[in-house]
Amino acid sequence: HVVRKFLGLISSHNIPVYLIDPLILGLVDKDIEKIKTSPGGPSLECKYFCAPRDFTTFALLDKTWKHEVGLFRTAEKMGFQWLKIINKDPRLDGMEDLSGIEIPLHYIFKLASHAIHLVVFYERSGNYLWHGPLRLKQHMDRKFVPFRKLHFGRYPGAYEKPELLLISIDDLKVQIPKNPSSFLEEMSHSRFLECRYREARAFFQLYPDDASLDAVEFRKKAKSLLHLAALTLNNLGVKFWLSSGTCLGWYRQCSVIPHSKDVDLGVFIRDYKADIIPAFQKAGLPLKHKFGKVEDSLELSFQGEDDVKLDIFFFYEEDDYIWNGGTQAKSGKKFKYLFPKFTLCWTEFVELKVHVPCETLQYVEANYGPDWKVPVKTWDWKSSPSNAQYNGVWPINEWEDVIQIY
Amino acid sequence: MDEWKPNPAIKPHKKRSWYLAWKYKLMNQRALRKLCQTGAVLFLLVTVIVNIKLILDTRRAAYEEEEEPAQDYDDEMLNVEVPRHPVSNKKVLDVEVYSSRSKVYVAVDGTTILEDEAREQGRGIHVIVLNQATGHVMAKRVFDTYSPHEDEAMVLFLNMVARGRILIFTIKDEGSFHLKDTAKNVLKSLGSQVAPFLSWRDMWTFVGKKGGEVYGEKHAKSPALSTWGDPVLLKTEVHLTSVEDAECRWPDTELNRRRKRFCSKVEGYGSVCSCKDPTPIEFNPDPLKDNKVFDVPVAVIAGNRPNYLYRMLRSLLSAQGVNPQMITVFIDGYYEEPMDVVELFGLSGIQHTPISIKNARVSQHYKASLTATFNLFPDAKFAVVLEEDLDISVDFFSFLSQSIHLLEEDESLYCISAWNDQGYEHTAEDPSLLYRVETMPGLGWVLRKSLYKDELEPKWPTPEKLWDWDMWMRMPEQRKGRECIIPDISRSYHFGIVGLNMNGYFHEAYFKKHKFNTVPNVQLKNVESLRKDAYETEIHRLLGEAEILDHSKNPCEDSFVPDTEGKVYVMFIRMEQEADFTTWTQLAKCLHIWDLDVRGNHKGLWRLFRKKNHFLVVGVPASPYSSKKPSSVTPIYMEPPAKEEGAAVPAVAAAEQT
Repeated sequence: HVVRKFLGLISSHNIPVYLIDPLILGLVDKDIEKIKTSPGGPSLECKYFCAPRDFTTFALLDKTWKHEVGLFRTAEKMGFQWLKIINKDPRLDGMEDLSGIEIPLHYIFKLASHAIHLVVFYERSGNYLWHGPLRLKQHMDRKFVPFRKLHFGRYPGAYEKPELLLISIDDLKVQIPKNPSSFLEEMSHSRFLECRYREARAFFQLYPDDASLDAVEFRKKAKSLLHLAALTLNNLGVKFWLSSGTCLGWYRQCSVIPHSKDVDLGVFIRDYKADIIPAFQKAGLPLKHKFGKVEDSLELSFQGEDDVKLDIFFFYEEDDYIWNGGTQAKSGKKFKYLFPKFTLCWTEFVELKVHVPCETLQYVEANYGPDWKVPVKTWDWKSSPSNAQYNGVWPINEWEDVIQIY
Repeated sequence: MDEWKPNPAIKPHKKRSWYLAWKYKLMNQRALRKLCQTGAVLFLLVTVIVNIKLILDTRRAAYEEEEEPAQDYDDEMLNVEVPRHPVSNKKVLDVEVYSSRSKVYVAVDGTTILEDEAREQGRGIHVIVLNQATGHVMAKRVFDTYSPHEDEAMVLFLNMVARGRILIFTIKDEGSFHLKDTAKNVLKSLGSQVAPFLSWRDMWTFVGKKGGEVYGEKHAKSPALSTWGDPVLLKTEVHLTSVEDAECRWPDTELNRRRKRFCSKVEGYGSVCSCKDPTPIEFNPDPLKDNKVFDVPVAVIAGNRPNYLYRMLRSLLSAQGVNPQMITVFIDGYYEEPMDVVELFGLSGIQHTPISIKNARVSQHYKASLTATFNLFPDAKFAVVLEEDLDISVDFFSFLSQSIHLLEEDESLYCISAWNDQGYEHTAEDPSLLYRVETMPGLGWVLRKSLYKDELEPKWPTPEKLWDWDMWMRMPEQRKGRECIIPDISRSYHFGIVGLNMNGYFHEAYFKKHKFNTVPNVQLKNVESLRKDAYETEIHRLLGEAEILDHSKNPCEDSFVPDTEGKVYVMFIRMEQEADFTTWTQLAKCLHIWDLDVRGNHKGLWRLFRKKNHFLVVGVPASPYSSKKPSSVTPIYMEPPAKEEGAAVPAVAAAEQT
């Protein structure tokens, strides 16, 4: 059987791969307890690998092997046809003027009518694993395998580093992610967006970066605040994304906007937890103000180091749009900021794996209008955003609750 | 004599007539003889100075040539690639070689592969090596054999070229003045009839196969000292051999496939391409037990000095505990040959588009390389930074493995460096000894990621600032009082003699006699005592133990230090405040150690060895260790030499002689 042959091949070259095929992992997950406890003796039936499929998917950690020519020679001798998909190394994409590095992203080994899809994972800054998209170059055989049916490669993806487990199924020993169901969960929203490095460079050509000591200092503080916020929210299991100015900085220039003076995050109100405020306080970030309430226009601000503020905006989902609220402390006026619906993607920002809206352009345009590419230093959060709407006034008797300033 | 010297004979001539006129004027005076003598001495002096200037100018010209490698490269790129197509289906090459005073060129099948008509450069013998099967250019060199020692370099190069290769020679301007017999004999052995008789300003072209036939030779003699031989143009045909004949029959392994690719492309690397007994390209040094730096990325910063890179990588890959997968070579520019060297050793290389010029270009290349290193190895807490002109000691990684935890734990450390600026043959002794110093030596060092990411990268000098990256890193704004750990005996050796800030004289004076550890597995002594506070205790212990030297003697004299071994001595020099290095600089000068700026100090203390004794120098009263000075001892003061006009010239000239 092809999988057996393939596993023989890779073990003979000492290449540590692990199974990430969603269909098989799904089956394995159902029987996980049984498989863990069974001694792995010979089994007669072929329950997992043998269902008729076009391919089986494995993962390979780049740093655990040396790109060896020998592997392919042996593969050929065993009758495999193989295809290698290479592309630019995204870890160097953010840097100007480097070349010489194209890295393998995917391998496909085909034998008879079955193929093995080997996805190469790379470690990236932010302590996560990344795999690339599968894009065919012009001269490549488009019918080598039914590419459209592959489970990996439509988009690049970001994953946590998995813990592995050696199991024995269908008489074969394979490594799998220790917790298949959470891996499958992770896979379903693993889509990764690369920062737009080329556009960012063009932006800096037009508007040279602020290299002053103040700017350097602010960026450093904003970065450590973001790291602390991410750590705190991740520990709570609260999903968040880069919002407002921080999102604009990522999208427009792949860096923190030095004159933005705060860090902005978005959180869906359904993910709100009462623990958020104490958790931040414990992390050394006292609550600065709280506007609105869970039912309406909630917004939290925490005081970071030296005047750098962390704003968390809570987003409310309607049928055809998403919005968050704002409150003017002295007048009790409410504002509403409307966004088209969006989903979340992973990206890397200041050495952190974080979410951003996948539909970033619409998100940024809703917030900053069509001229978002032009830096603006004076920004009024009540009138400048192009998606700001006046939303009435809080009733006086609620003020004590919905306008809390510390 | 400020400009170039097409005819060095003329000016002395003029001087002589001026001298004669003067002589006639004084003819009838009584002191005639005396004056004549003085005049002759003066004349000699002038000639000497003129000659020194000439030498310096030549050096400067050579140096300036160095500065524009990019331009050379463009030419090469254009020309190297072209002949491939016409050549491949043809068995005969038409070769044209031109030699003249101001221009040389070589064309193969109508394609120019060398053309040099630039003024004031490219003087000497141009050599091109072609692959005898494909006709590809494998090497291009020019040896300025008008100047001394260049002929030796040419002999070395020609000896390294494999038998069967096609060699093309042509002279531009002058190529015989320092072409010694050894070199002439080598040319003769290649089949040249003219070489033994080549003389002043002759023009010459020659095409031959190494160890085989001669395809043609042309020569034009210079009719007089002040003129050049007529230009010569040699047109000849070269018969190509089959590819099989041009390649060695090495066993078919992955290593040999890399070797084959390399050897069919470039020349001048000697035994690595030897058919019979090729030198290994994989070294498998012993692994290091408990290697703490196995997962530390190694960034090799390179330019376009592929021969240096080759030597460097050989020593790096031979060092115990090396992990080739962590090595990345960063090449500043789209140079092919350095990349070929990288691939020969199966390493990964990244090319970087040059940004800015000179020192700023190097700085930008450093920044890009360091950023890329930490991007590629996101887990790394450190990076080892090496340069292409360093030999790496066999225990380099062992040295780092034993000391790296200090860099991780001691916030007062800036780096660990393999290089001791003051560690010369006569001043370094103990391979197991480490120091703390307030300077940043570079030349093989470890950088902490947090230092780079949080402090250095965000404010790295921008391209328009023409700063040296290392000078910048040494500035107090960056260093912030932190120190580096260095070994007494360096774990790297700086062998480069061509470079942006380097020339032969400078290398000879400051680098050649540097001590370099060759002992494997050195167990470092007392590593914990290198921590901030522990080190102070250690220094106080040392000073307590030290014998005070006789301060009435001259510290430059050898007898200043008794003829003992293994003792600790201390001397006190005058150092009014923290930045007063007047006496230290004079002392460093007479001890023949680094004196161009202050290196290797720790709180006004220097540690080195003299006659196998540990020798401590304390600057009084600036150093906190001044309290160790007994009141009876007067710190030694050494005066800087009075600033005489031109004082530097004789010094340089004297060094030139050695």
